[in-house]
Amino acid sequence: MCAATSWLNLVPRNPLKLARVATAILVFTGLTIAFVDFRGFAPVHLGHVLAHAQFVPGFVSLLAGAIGTVFFVVGLIIALAIGRIYCSAICPLGILQDIITRIAGWFPRKKKFLPFAKPQTAVRQVFLWGTVAAIVAGWGGFALALVDPYSNFGRIVSTLARPLLTVANNSLVGLANAAGSQSLYRVEAPWAVGGALLLPAIFLTLVAVMSALRGRLYCNTLCPVGTALGMLSKFAAFRIAIDKTACTKCGDCLRSCKAQCIDLRAGTIDASRCVACYNCVGVCEHHGIGYRFSWKKKPATAKAITATAATSLTANDPQRRAFLASIAGGVAASSVVLNRARAALPSDEITPALVRSGEASRAICPPGSKSQDQFLDRCTSCHLCVSACPTHVLQPALLEYGVEGLLKPRLDYTSAFCLFECTRCIEVCPDDALSLPDLATKQVTQIGVADFHQSRCIVEVNGTDCAACSEHCPTKAVTTKPFRDNLRLPSLDQSLCIGCGACEYACPVKPTKAILVTGRRVHARAEKLVEKKATAPAQTGDFPF
Amino acid sequence: MKTRRDFVKTTLAIGATVSIADFGKLFAAESQTPATSTLPAETGPKPVLVAVRDGDRVAMLDKALAELGGIQAFVKPGQTVVIKPNIGWNASPERGANTHPSIVGHLTALCLSAGAKSVSVFDNTCDQWQETYKNSGIEKAAKDAGAIVVNGKDETLYREVAIPNGIKLKSAKVHSLILDSDVFINVPVLKHHQATLMTACMKNLMGIVWDRGSWHRTDLHQCIADVLTLRKPALNIIDAYHPMVRNGPRGKTVEDVVEMRTLLASTDIVAIDAAAAKLLGHTPSDITYVKIGHEMKLGRMDLENVDVRRHKLA
Repeated sequence: MCAATSWLNLVPRNPLKLARVATAILVFTGLTIAFVDFRGFAPVHLGHVLAHAQFVPGFVSLLAGAIGTVFFVVGLIIALAIGRIYCSAICPLGILQDIITRIAGWFPRKKKFLPFAKPQTAVRQVFLWGTVAAIVAGWGGFALALVDPYSNFGRIVSTLARPLLTVANNSLVGLANAAGSQSLYRVEAPWAVGGALLLPAIFLTLVAVMSALRGRLYCNTLCPVGTALGMLSKFAAFRIAIDKTACTKCGDCLRSCKAQCIDLRAGTIDASRCVACYNCVGVCEHHGIGYRFSWKKKPATAKAITATAATSLTANDPQRRAFLASIAGGVAASSVVLNRARAALPSDEITPALVRSGEASRAICPPGSKSQDQFLDRCTSCHLCVSACPTHVLQPALLEYGVEGLLKPRLDYTSAFCLFECTRCIEVCPDDALSLPDLATKQVTQIGVADFHQSRCIVEVNGTDCAACSEHCPTKAVTTKPFRDNLRLPSLDQSLCIGCGACEYACPVKPTKAILVTGRRVHARAEKLVEKKATAPAQTGDFPF
Repeated sequence: MKTRRDFVKTTLAIGATVSIADFGKLFAAESQTPATSTLPAETGPKPVLVAVRDGDRVAMLDKALAELGGIQAFVKPGQTVVIKPNIGWNASPERGANTHPSIVGHLTALCLSAGAKSVSVFDNTCDQWQETYKNSGIEKAAKDAGAIVVNGKDETLYREVAIPNGIKLKSAKVHSLILDSDVFINVPVLKHHQATLMTACMKNLMGIVWDRGSWHRTDLHQCIADVLTLRKPALNIIDAYHPMVRNGPRGKTVEDVVEMRTLLASTDIVAIDAAAAKLLGHTPSDITYVKIGHEMKLGRMDLENVDVRRHKLA
């Protein structure tokens, strides 16, 4: 009875907070499932849809002029209407920090609550404008991948939680099988290697420590998305404000605030840091804090209602205009940069290519990315595709693409290949980094080209049959031809090759395989061999023996 | 202190266990002729090969089994059965890249009706296994019929075993279902193959080992023959309803298959592959592993010394 009551107490009674918590739980659970889903249980669109609501993927869509722009614009409008609700209800990293803060609260600590703190305006500006500068300088893909809270969350779950869950699953397989159930099966734990594993681990540690000690400190200092949305929130139509006529200065709101943005002495709330969690609204017994419409002209004598005062940045008009202008300028400039990169491609018109393009790619980028440059610009390395890839051929890169491609997915053919009938990565990608109209297009999209090295081939070296490469080739770019006495030697037609890596994966030669795929910097269109109906062997109608 | 009654009980129990074990091995051992022994044809009756044409797959399978003495000749009540189809490729049944699900399903049902304790189905697939199990239609057909569909991509289910009679393949990591089941049934589909010209029964057994790559490295044809010295299937069935005649073993489209409406069944794995080679227009000895299998006396490819029973259902 008692326990039931205490659990009920966990359900927020304030409708605003209830809505925020409910949304946060849904988004967090949905995204976590999408990122840990090593069995392909989750519907393909779960991760895709939730990721589309994220700020940075939407921003990338805006720069690319892609469909996700709609989500981004809606997000901006919401921020301008009611503030940084994104940070509390939609951003999975924000929600993760709330969870960590809550868990940390279970442990005894010296300070009972987080007092009001001065804003770290300089730090916030450095991270925000540093990111904008990187975008303008053409390093947007790199910078956004590093700072995007959603992508950082994705990498944490995909790189750390997913393999752990796989290990847990594997340890239960024996028990399940012994109990006569085949519902569990063993899956190879998808551990990333070295830095690809280390970077998300370091980031998680940073965020965990900051949130355990100081609530939303990360969001209000380092996160450029938090800073950008904070700027908008300062001018939001509705802002959380203190009603001085009702306020008894009891401090309940202060104690419930994880953003340290309520200045009770002045009776103001720093809207640029308020993450719209509504903890204060729910906790105030005097209805002394809540949303106020703040676009009204300030009455000359502001006595009853004080709209949110700008404590972090002066709110006078020239500065405000300068801010908005610089945001617009930054977006426009980066848009120009990205679109120039885009224009450098042979448009979306993929030309037939028999011959390899001049420059080989340093790593093989996924189908639908069109070119390495465009991919590195648009992908924020959220690793939703890495989690969704059924063969695990998609792996986070370290320096294979160069520094700017750090942690971007690449195809690694050492232990897997790209499944011919699969477009899962393209279906889940929220960044418009990967897009192709259909499976048929993917099946002729040349992401790389195989090279056959006869001098290393088993058939040449050992004089025994092999043709593992040809067995696996889905387009029959690799076939076999008669060789020496009754042997079959692989024979490669590069114009049919799509670079899926099935041949390279299957080649049993050690240490260096005899057939290797080189990525294309700009994807091309492979030829497709259409064959007529096969004819039956000579005998028909009776038994040939 | 052990009483006399305890002693008698224990002895009886051990005796029973041993005799059951032996009993089980007897059936599995039906065709487990050691490589060094003489051929059945030289000492006993000719091996039987049943070839059925022009029926649907299930009808042809029933006819072939009836000719071989029914499923009861192979599966005794209480035995565990492993069925090894070809589930290599992520392709729909019409593509002919995998054994047809209806054959796997029907065979499962027959084994269970004969009193099998369990029927397990698996393959070490070439394409991603979950997709392949699903899209081949075999997972559903086998499960619906009551089979246990087992993960072939779980290395912990494979055990390293010595293959003393292998010429080049001296050991392999073999799936525990093959090592432990009482009855081993091999049900491949007939296909063209880029390296070996044909894949049917013998080559299908590449899917019982963990590391196929080492066979490719070592000597493909010899390894295919060598693994049979470990354990030969009690029964081999070839689905040649619409064999893939080019671009094998993966195939590209349905255009790669031709309708043949044939099914073969035999206890002699070399003989059945020899017949399958002829279906595809080859001379059996053109298929190197078939020739090696014959030379190693694992079975016979000279069909004139095989009791071939031909049936046309239409």
